[in-house]
Amino acid sequence: MPATHDPGDLLQGTLGILILKSLLLAPAHGYAISRWIEETTGDVLRIEEGSLYPALRRLEDRALVTSRWGRSENNRRARFYTITAAGRRHLRNDASTWLRYSQAVTRVLRADPAIP
Amino acid sequence: MRRERAPRRRGSLRFLRPDVPADVDDELQFHIQMRIERNLALGMSLEDARRDAIERFGEVGTVRAQLVEHDERRQTTRRRAEYVADFVQDVKFGARALRRAPVFAVAAALTLALGIGANTAIFSIVNAVLLQPLPYTHPERLVTIGQGSLGEYQALRERLRTITELAAWVPATHPVDDGRQAIRLNGVAVTTNLMPLLGAAPMIGRGFAPEDGTYGSSPVMIISNSLWRREFGSASDIVGRKLLVDGAPYTIVGVMPPSFQYPANDVEYWLPYTISPANIGLMWGVGGKEFIGRLAPNATLEQARRELRTVWPSLRRLNPLWDPGATYRVDATVTPLKADLVGSARSLLLMLFGATLLVLLIACVNVANLLLARATARERELAVRATLGGGRGRLVRQLVTEGLLLAIVGAAAGIGLAVLAVHALIGIIPTGIPRSGAIAMNGMVLIFTLLVSLVTGVVFSAIPAIRATAGGSSVGTRSGRRATSGVSHTRIAGMLVAGEIALAVMLAVASLLLVRSFAALRSIAPGFEPMQVIAARISAPAGSYPPGSARLTGFYRDVLDRVQALPGVRDAALVDQLPLAAPMRGLAIRVQGQHEDVTQLLPSIQHVQSVSPDYFATLRIPLLHGRPFTNRDGADSPPVAIVSQSVAREFWPNGDAIGKRIGYPFDSPWITIVGIVPDTKQDSLRDTSRVAIYMPWSQTSSRVGSELWLVARSAGDPRATGADIRRIVHDIDRAVPVSDVRTMDAVVAESVVGSRFTAALVTAFALLALVLGAVGIYGVVSYLVSERTREVGIRIALGASAAGVVRLIVGRALRLAAAGTIAGVICAMAATRALRQWLYGVSPSDPLTFGAVAVVFLGIAAFASYAPARRATHVDPAVTLREE
Repeated sequence: MPATHDPGDLLQGTLGILILKSLLLAPAHGYAISRWIEETTGDVLRIEEGSLYPALRRLEDRALVTSRWGRSENNRRARFYTITAAGRRHLRNDASTWLRYSQAVTRVLRADPAIP
Repeated sequence: MRRERAPRRRGSLRFLRPDVPADVDDELQFHIQMRIERNLALGMSLEDARRDAIERFGEVGTVRAQLVEHDERRQTTRRRAEYVADFVQDVKFGARALRRAPVFAVAAALTLALGIGANTAIFSIVNAVLLQPLPYTHPERLVTIGQGSLGEYQALRERLRTITELAAWVPATHPVDDGRQAIRLNGVAVTTNLMPLLGAAPMIGRGFAPEDGTYGSSPVMIISNSLWRREFGSASDIVGRKLLVDGAPYTIVGVMPPSFQYPANDVEYWLPYTISPANIGLMWGVGGKEFIGRLAPNATLEQARRELRTVWPSLRRLNPLWDPGATYRVDATVTPLKADLVGSARSLLLMLFGATLLVLLIACVNVANLLLARATARERELAVRATLGGGRGRLVRQLVTEGLLLAIVGAAAGIGLAVLAVHALIGIIPTGIPRSGAIAMNGMVLIFTLLVSLVTGVVFSAIPAIRATAGGSSVGTRSGRRATSGVSHTRIAGMLVAGEIALAVMLAVASLLLVRSFAALRSIAPGFEPMQVIAARISAPAGSYPPGSARLTGFYRDVLDRVQALPGVRDAALVDQLPLAAPMRGLAIRVQGQHEDVTQLLPSIQHVQSVSPDYFATLRIPLLHGRPFTNRDGADSPPVAIVSQSVAREFWPNGDAIGKRIGYPFDSPWITIVGIVPDTKQDSLRDTSRVAIYMPWSQTSSRVGSELWLVARSAGDPRATGADIRRIVHDIDRAVPVSDVRTMDAVVAESVVGSRFTAALVTAFALLALVLGAVGIYGVVSYLVSERTREVGIRIALGASAAGVVRLIVGRALRLAAAGTIAGVICAMAATRALRQWLYGVSPSDPLTFGAVAVVFLGIAAFASYAPARRATHVDPAVTLREE
């Protein structure tokens, strides 16, 4: 897996993690994923919803998710995404990297002297 | 993967294949729609809800385009993978199916192997001789412009504008002596610009420099790669060594690379042609130099032809010796070097290739028939597979894959057969076919074979596949055995067999015509008696035995005396040109009282031989009038000649040729005719030109060179005499090589080896076609019988006799065969016209040949159908009637 060197990668990687995480419970369509992120982050991370789909395709290409057509809760034709075993493994690795990273940044920011 | 696609397809029944843009639209629209609905639920106005949804989403158009592109790319890779997966599955399934029917598989593969093998073998010759480019720089710009004298060469070289460089060569085959042994080797004398013209250079040493071609320079030579390896053990210090060529020392200055084989692959050395413009007789009096040139960069072949047709005839006045006549060189033409080199071999090879294509076609038809019968037997299996959801296209693909599999197996075996065949062919290929040294099974040939097998695979499996899957699938499952088959299958199979017979008839007619031509050629009497005669070529080197010298005449008298003294030898004689061995040199002659003016066009005599007195006795050529040559016709006695009957009749129709006088085409003493002999075959058995003049060698030895043939008639085994001749010559002078020791019978046989080769090859193909055709008839009639057991049962139950049943079935086979034979005869009538150039003494539409072939094929059809017909009579009516 590519290390998160540049900020673009970081963001894309982040979006991937968020998507995978959102699929952990159950398969979902794109709209449900965006809603889940919206609710879980308290709308802090305002992702452009359109960027979700290319990200989903990339995950699918890497066999981290699969998709198939199904019926939505209000009985419309929708494409549902399911996380694969590889996706779960990937999520586990990336999540721990991300957590270590963010903890390190947090430590730096909390270190003396305090930010005025 | 496939399971994943299926529901989607059902979800969007609109499309056979997933419609990528529509799916992307569906997905994105769903998202935006859901957002709008939520916004509405949150109490926004419809307009706000929509704007907010779009805003949150971002660039809809960009995302959409991105997704469509991505999904379409993924779609194609997925389809490709699926296709490969299907193909692998088909191959596995096909292999299993073939293993389950080994007899069928072996029969089909063997049939194909024969067809493909024959094709591959002939193609490897076609490829080497016709297709491969010549190994020279820009070989397509090289041209030959005919033959002429050195004077003409120099004049043309100065004048022609469309040809940048012109070179000339002439055969210079001589005894070559390295001090240990002397051998006669094929060589050529070339103008020093020949190799640069071709773009070739020696791999060791240097090429010829212009000075090498000037009179008085020290003699040098370049040797072939094979001579270097064979005689010098690839010695690295080869440059500077000396060889005696025709008795004169030459210094080796270079070795050519193995690829350089101009003008023929048996040329072992090249000498520079020394031109001495002062010698007018040599410059203008001796022709036979071959001219080869390179087209100027901007000139076309047509322009070169036009130029040559005006330039060459304009040289007429340049000849200081005589006026070559008003028709001089008006037909001069420019030929591409490759066409010139390949010559008549081209049409022969294309004809043979055509014959093998017919064989292949027959093989295809046979296998198609086998597959058809098998597909009918497998109808139930196919029907089940169709019902279980394999689409028709999928089934056809499955069957074609099976066919391809068969074709590949057949091709592999065919390549094995071709390797053997090519090996055998190289041994018997007539020397007239150029570039035959390059014949090999190479990459190009294998690619050809692969293509052929793929095409044949598709051809022979497509018809049965389409046929087999055409019937309604439900019918097959319901009633099993014969349901849809019957009539239609039988008719297709019948048509295929009739077509097969038609093709085989064509080949058989061609083969019989060629065989009859060969027989006609062989039955031609050469005009002399070749039995018990041995011929040997004795090549005295001119350096030590100059033409006309006492040493030369003494040497040959010594050889002749010792050979005549051998216990088994009855007669022996010397002759400068052996009949039927090679085209002979001729001569223009003066005829006293008729053609005396040497500046006018003189009659030309194609065959002029110098012989020792016993030549006619040795070959049993009877003397019709006058006297034979005797030992008294020596160099100092009045010159004499013996002429053939045709010459006598042509110039002295009143029958008074004896005593008349002829002469050389320049001022010289008259030669008196003292005898007349019958016409004999000289250049070839097909030779129709009969004019020949014989002169005593004792009077011409200064003109005919130092190499002679010795012919001897022996009481016992002529080959023993041949060995004696070798020994005698070697004892007298080991520096004189003896070569081409053969019986005259062999010489006669070899002169028609080309037509024997053609006849043998086409006959082999025809036999192949005959066998395949017979197998085809047998197969179809067997099938027909098995299909009709019920009908036969009823007939027998109703009291038909066994003979009647046999008659019925054989009659049906004969009708098929007759249809095929008639079609074949009609096609052959048209096709055999193309054979005309190989036919002799038999018309291309010879009724006897056509009749014989037709009878043979009907006989084969009757024979091939008799066994299955007999089997039908053993049908127990009770059993067959109960069967259904």
